[in-house]
Amino acid sequence: MSVETLNAPAYAEESGALGRSGALRRLARDKVAVTAALVLTLIALAAVFAPAVAPYDPYLTDLTNVMQPPTAEHWFGTDNTGRDILSRVIFGTRNTLMLGLVGVVIGGVVGGVLGIWAAYYKRADGWIMRLVDVMLAFPAILIGLAVAAVAGAGLAAVVIALVVATVPDVARVARGAAVGVMGQEFMEAGRAVGVSDRTLIWRYLTLNCISTIFVFLTLRFGQIILIGSALGFLGMGAQPPTAELGMMAAQGRDFLFMAPHIATIPSCAIFVIVLAANLLGDAVRDVLDPRLQQ
Amino acid sequence: MGRQIVHRLLVSFPALLGVLFLCFCLLQVVPADPAMIIAGPDAKAETIAAIRLELGLDRPIPIQFAEYIGRVVRGDLGRSIISNKMVSEELALTIGPTVELMLGAMLIAVPLGLTLGTLAAVKRGTLLDRLIMAISVAGVSMPVFFIGLILIQYVGFKWGLLPFTGRTGPVWDGGQPSLILPASTLGVVLIGPIARLTRTAVLEVLGADFVRTARAKGLRETAVIVHHALRNALIPVVTLIGLQAAFLLGGAVVTETMFSWPGVGRLAVGAIVSSDFPTAQGAIMILAIAFLSINLLVDVLYVYLDPRLQRS
Repeated sequence: MSVETLNAPAYAEESGALGRSGALRRLARDKVAVTAALVLTLIALAAVFAPAVAPYDPYLTDLTNVMQPPTAEHWFGTDNTGRDILSRVIFGTRNTLMLGLVGVVIGGVVGGVLGIWAAYYKRADGWIMRLVDVMLAFPAILIGLAVAAVAGAGLAAVVIALVVATVPDVARVARGAAVGVMGQEFMEAGRAVGVSDRTLIWRYLTLNCISTIFVFLTLRFGQIILIGSALGFLGMGAQPPTAELGMMAAQGRDFLFMAPHIATIPSCAIFVIVLAANLLGDAVRDVLDPRLQQ
Repeated sequence: MGRQIVHRLLVSFPALLGVLFLCFCLLQVVPADPAMIIAGPDAKAETIAAIRLELGLDRPIPIQFAEYIGRVVRGDLGRSIISNKMVSEELALTIGPTVELMLGAMLIAVPLGLTLGTLAAVKRGTLLDRLIMAISVAGVSMPVFFIGLILIQYVGFKWGLLPFTGRTGPVWDGGQPSLILPASTLGVVLIGPIARLTRTAVLEVLGADFVRTARAKGLRETAVIVHHALRNALIPVVTLIGLQAAFLLGGAVVTETMFSWPGVGRLAVGAIVSSDFPTAQGAIMILAIAFLSINLLVDVLYVYLDPRLQRS
């Protein structure tokens, strides 16, 4: 019983969890990172509270007021059916961010578990990594296309594609980190005093790898959003009238020459989100886990 | 060197099987019965049964999969449900334009990325360095279609400089103008990552002993950078291009769709939208195989560029 309460030593010191070793303070000194974090927080808040923030109903069409360029009433103008683009961008951001988040979280958990198992159960290592290699052979967009072909276009197709895009790389990173932890003396000590496999994997291994996995996922988030919105653009994701940034850009393409803002504004929104995510990811990496640097 | 390539081929094999299996599933799990689609809406039950027998749809799945592989090896990918043409023929027409588009994109991205990255490394810490790095982060964060939209709107439409729909012909036969905008769209996305990695790689090499030696023996700075630093920095850059292959393929699908470029990606998207499963399956397979081949090629190139690997 007492073995269960044994705590794994804090090996994570050098790869550092947030808050420890003043990482947060160092991050706060980086102006770019702070700006990026601020922008992302604002965008995320707007997305979460979309119904309260959006000035209009994103689905309300107004055929007397179509394709208006930005005005005081409609900051981002109106689209081809007179819907308010600002409201649609806010709701679209909500869907786009949710897709990215779901993809990264599921992909991160599955990839993390696979990687840690591969490091812990040496016999499974070869098989798991082979599986990961096979997954790497499918570019995410192709997975999205294939799933959409089989099951029909929709958010599910995009989520599956994003998960498949996340899993193999996370598995590799997690395995790398876990192999490092496996070599530590406390793993052997834990095993010697009879700690169960489950506790060893969870309390000793996972907790010590989690910050590396987290940093890696932060770095990947921007790319995942890009893949998701590309699938939306291709029509494999959200279906009209649902607002999703990639799909909105695709719809606006038909009116590019008459009213370029319909397509450019959602594209711009994606750019801002991804840019902020990438800048923040880079900064977090530099502070927490410089080893992940290419 | 040979052994590494063989190893790589062995790793690619299960991946290839996976690709084939996925494509096979695509033909299996389709919501509609392919025999019914081929027979048409008001066909008799006997007609459907006959077609099913002809297609071998009554046999067990593993045997159907084996037969499927056999057909793929012979180059028989079935017939398009929409156009009733052989899928292999349709693919043969589209592969050329896709390869052209990707090569065009590389031709734009690689020299520019290498130059910018090297420049940033040499002028490390200056305003120029920071500017180049800022541009490359912005480039990485751009959706491919955003660049395409801007190019179509301005260069294509407003200024009327270049065509932006379709392909007027092969590059060697008057097709160059129509290639420029799609290739630029796809290429711009790649410049950022290449520049970024080149900078890191060059910086690392610039600190190496052999660069100091080259300088000490009085080589001109350009010679040092081009022959000693850049050549060695190419190794990680080539790997990066391999890693970006997935990105390049995905980007190609988007770019082709935007510019009505008659490539494999547009074929795949069109086939999916119109539920033309045989064509979709064939196009997805070709794209996946292309991806595997690019990675293989990159591995070979890698060994060629780094002679240290040939000996080990």
